[in-house]
Amino acid sequence: MATSTIWANYQADKAYDEMINSQGNARSLCSTLAQYLQTLNTDALKGRRSAAEAAILEMGITFTVYSEKGNIDRAWPFDIIPRLIEFQEWKKIEAGLTQRLKALNCFINDVYNEQLIIKDGLLPADLIESSSNFRRECIGMRPKFGSWANICGSDLVRAGDGEMYVLEDNLRVPSGVSYMMENRAITKRVFPELLQNLNVMPVDAYPAQLFEMLTSLAPNPDNHPQIAVLTPGIYNSAYFEHAFLAQRMGATLVEGNDLVVKEDDCVYMRTIKGLEKVDVIYRRIDDLFLDPEVFHKDSVLGVKGLMRAWKAGNVALANAPGAGVADDKVIYAYVPQMIKYYLNEEPILPNVPTYLCSDPEQLAYVLAHLPELVVKPANESGGYGMLVGPHASKKDIQQFHKLIQDNPRNYIAQPTLALSTCPTLCDDHLEARHIDLRPFILQGEHSFVTAGGLTRVALRAGSLIVNSSQGGGSKDTWIIHTEQ
Amino acid sequence: MLSRSAERLYWLARYLERTENTARLIKVTMNLIYDLPYGTEVGWHNLLTICGVETAFNDCGKSPNEQNITHFLVADQNNSNSLLSSLAFARENIRTSRELMPDEAWEQVNEMYLYAINNLDNLSNRRGRVVFLQEILRGCQRFTGFIAGAMSRNDSHRFICVGRNIERADMTTRIMDFGTVLLAENRSLIAREYEGILWLNVLKSLNASLMFRKQGRQGMQGKDVLSFLLGNPDFPSSVNYCLQEIAYCIAGLPNSTALLEPLNALDQALLAFKMDETTPLQLHEILDGLQTDFNTLHSHIAQTWFFNNLTE
Repeated sequence: MATSTIWANYQADKAYDEMINSQGNARSLCSTLAQYLQTLNTDALKGRRSAAEAAILEMGITFTVYSEKGNIDRAWPFDIIPRLIEFQEWKKIEAGLTQRLKALNCFINDVYNEQLIIKDGLLPADLIESSSNFRRECIGMRPKFGSWANICGSDLVRAGDGEMYVLEDNLRVPSGVSYMMENRAITKRVFPELLQNLNVMPVDAYPAQLFEMLTSLAPNPDNHPQIAVLTPGIYNSAYFEHAFLAQRMGATLVEGNDLVVKEDDCVYMRTIKGLEKVDVIYRRIDDLFLDPEVFHKDSVLGVKGLMRAWKAGNVALANAPGAGVADDKVIYAYVPQMIKYYLNEEPILPNVPTYLCSDPEQLAYVLAHLPELVVKPANESGGYGMLVGPHASKKDIQQFHKLIQDNPRNYIAQPTLALSTCPTLCDDHLEARHIDLRPFILQGEHSFVTAGGLTRVALRAGSLIVNSSQGGGSKDTWIIHTEQ
Repeated sequence: MLSRSAERLYWLARYLERTENTARLIKVTMNLIYDLPYGTEVGWHNLLTICGVETAFNDCGKSPNEQNITHFLVADQNNSNSLLSSLAFARENIRTSRELMPDEAWEQVNEMYLYAINNLDNLSNRRGRVVFLQEILRGCQRFTGFIAGAMSRNDSHRFICVGRNIERADMTTRIMDFGTVLLAENRSLIAREYEGILWLNVLKSLNASLMFRKQGRQGMQGKDVLSFLLGNPDFPSSVNYCLQEIAYCIAGLPNSTALLEPLNALDQALLAFKMDETTPLQLHEILDGLQTDFNTLHSHIAQTWFFNNLTE
C-alpha cells in the first residue's frame, strides 16, 4: 500500500480505520478510491484541495463563530478525502435510525400525556421533572401523527469493534444538513471522475423530503400551506443553513419581527401585500426564545403569542416545543428500553454504554474512573462542557469530580471510544483522523433518512472533538452500491 | 414576499448599480484626463462632486490628486459611498436574501467582492486600476445578465428593477449636472476647444456614446447630449427611460395606486422641458429638483412596502 508518498507513514492501527485494514491494505469497499489516490502525487492532491477551498469561498459556504472580537464568518472546513459506507450496512443503519426516532416520538408524546412509561416503572418520574428541556406548557398537546421531533440529527460513531453505535440524538435544532449537501457539490467539482466510476447514492433529496414533511404537518396540508423557516438572524452560527434550506424548499426565511400573532391566534407575516397567514414554521430557535409571552420575557428573537397559536392548532411548529425532553443524555440511556416498550421491537442500533451519575452505584464507579471516561453534561450541545478523561489534566479531572458531585443528575459518563479513523489530507500527505457521522432523520406523516449524512472529522491528531465550533472539519460521505 | 426582503433586494440593486456607476465613472475619467492639457477646469475633483462626497473627502485632509481621490472613491471603507463599501453592502443584502434568488446570483456578487478585497493592492498604479475596474464592471454585467435570463418577473424582480432605476436616474442627473459646468458662459478657452471630447466622455460615462450617435445622426452638441440623457424614451440610462421602468414595475406591485400619480406628474414635467430655452443655471436647479423628487419617491416606496404595519 505505502508506495506513494502521500501514504508514507500512514498509521491505521490505533483505531478502526474506515479505509485501511489492520494489515495495511485498502478495504475492498475502498479499493477504487485507494487506487485512485495512489495515482495522485503530492502536487495533484494539493491542487484538488485548493480547488475545493476556492469553491467554498465562491459558494460562500460559511459558518459563524462566536469570539471575543465579535462574530466571524469562517470558510467551511472541508477535507477532500471522502468517507465510504457500504449500502447494505447503510440499509441497516437507516432502519435503526427510523426505529429510534419513532420510539423517541412515542416517548415524548407519552411524557406530555399519559406518562405510561413512568406508571409502568421503566423510567423514574424525577428524571422528567428535573429535565431542563421538559416544558410544562406542552402538557396535553398532541401534534399531528404524534410526531414531536420532526427533524433529528443523530450522532453515530464506529468503535474499535467495527460496530456503529448511536452516541446521541439531537432533537432540538440540529444543524449540518446543508453542509452535507454542499460537501457533495464541492466533491463533484474536485473528484468528478471518481463519482462517475463509483455508484454513489445522491444526497440532494433532502430539501424536497423536508418540504413534504413540513407540508404534512400543516393544519390544512392540501391547500398549499405557507411554510416559513424561522431564523434568529444573520449572527447565528447556522444562518447559512437556514437561508440554504429556505432557498432549496422555496420557503420564506423569516425573523421573529417578520411575524405577528393576532387576536384570532393565527400567525401572520408582514409582506408587501400586508399580513399573510403562516401555516408551518420550521423554527431554528431554541424553545426558550420562541415566545416572550411564555418563555424568556426579554427574547427579541421569538414571536409574542406563538405558543398560543400552536396550542390552538393554527400553526405547526417543527420541531414541536418540548421535543428536547428526549434530547437529554440521561434519557438517552433509556432509548433501547423505549424501543422495546413502545414498538415491541429489538433495537437495531446499539447505544454506547452509559453510566448515569444520578444512580449512586454508577456515580461511585464514574468518580473512581474519571481518567478513562468521557463525561458529558446532560443538556449541552456543540461539544461544550465535556471531559475527555484520557486527554484531561489532573486539574480538569478534579474540577469534574466536584461538578459531578454537586449535580449528579446533570452528568453521564461513557467509556472513551476509539472513534474510527479515516485518511485525511494533512499538509501534503494523508494521516488518520477520528470521525463521526451525523445522519438526519425526518418524521411527519412518513419517515425519511438522508443517504449518509455529515461526516465530521477531528482535524487535530489524536483529538476526539469533531465539532466545527471547536476545530472540527467535515468530509463528504459516500453510500456505495457494490452490487452490479 | 416579506417587507424586509423587498427592502433588501431594493438596496441590493441600488448598491450594485452604484458600484458599476462608480467603476465606469473612474475608468472614463482616467481616459479623459490623458487627453486634456493641464489647466482645464475639468479634473479628478469633479468626480467627488458627481459622487456627492466632496465634503467627506475634504474632511480627511488629503491633497486632491489622482491617487488620493481614486483611492477614496474605490477602496476607502470609511467612505460609505466608495465602490468597496457599496459592494460590501450589496453582498450583505444578497446574503440575507438568498432564498429569493438562484444560487449563481449570490455567487456572482460574492466572487466580485472577494476579487475586490483581494486585489486592492493593484489600485496603486494606473495599469492595475484599469484591470481592477474592468473586472468589477464585468462582474456587475454578469450579475445583470444572469438576473435578466434567470429570474421570473415577479415581485422580487420588480424591487430589483425599481432600485436599479432610481439609482441609475440619480446618477444620470449627477453627470448631467457636471455637464452644466461645461455649458457655463464663463468656461475657459481650453474647455471650449476640447468641447467635443468632453461631451463624448460625458456620454461614455453612461455607456451612451454610440446610442446617442445612432438615434439622431447628430454632432456632439452639449444641449443635444443633455436632451438625450434627460428625455430619450429608448436609452436605458436616460432619466425618462428610468422613470418609465420604475412606473412599469411599480404598477405590478400591490397597493401601488398612490405612487402612480406623482410618477406620472414627474414624467409629464420631463416631456414638457425644452433644453433650448434653458440657461445652465436653470438646468442645474431642475436637476437638483429631480434629485429631490427621487428622494421623495424613495420615501414613498419605503412607506408603502418596507415599513408597512410594523407598529402593530
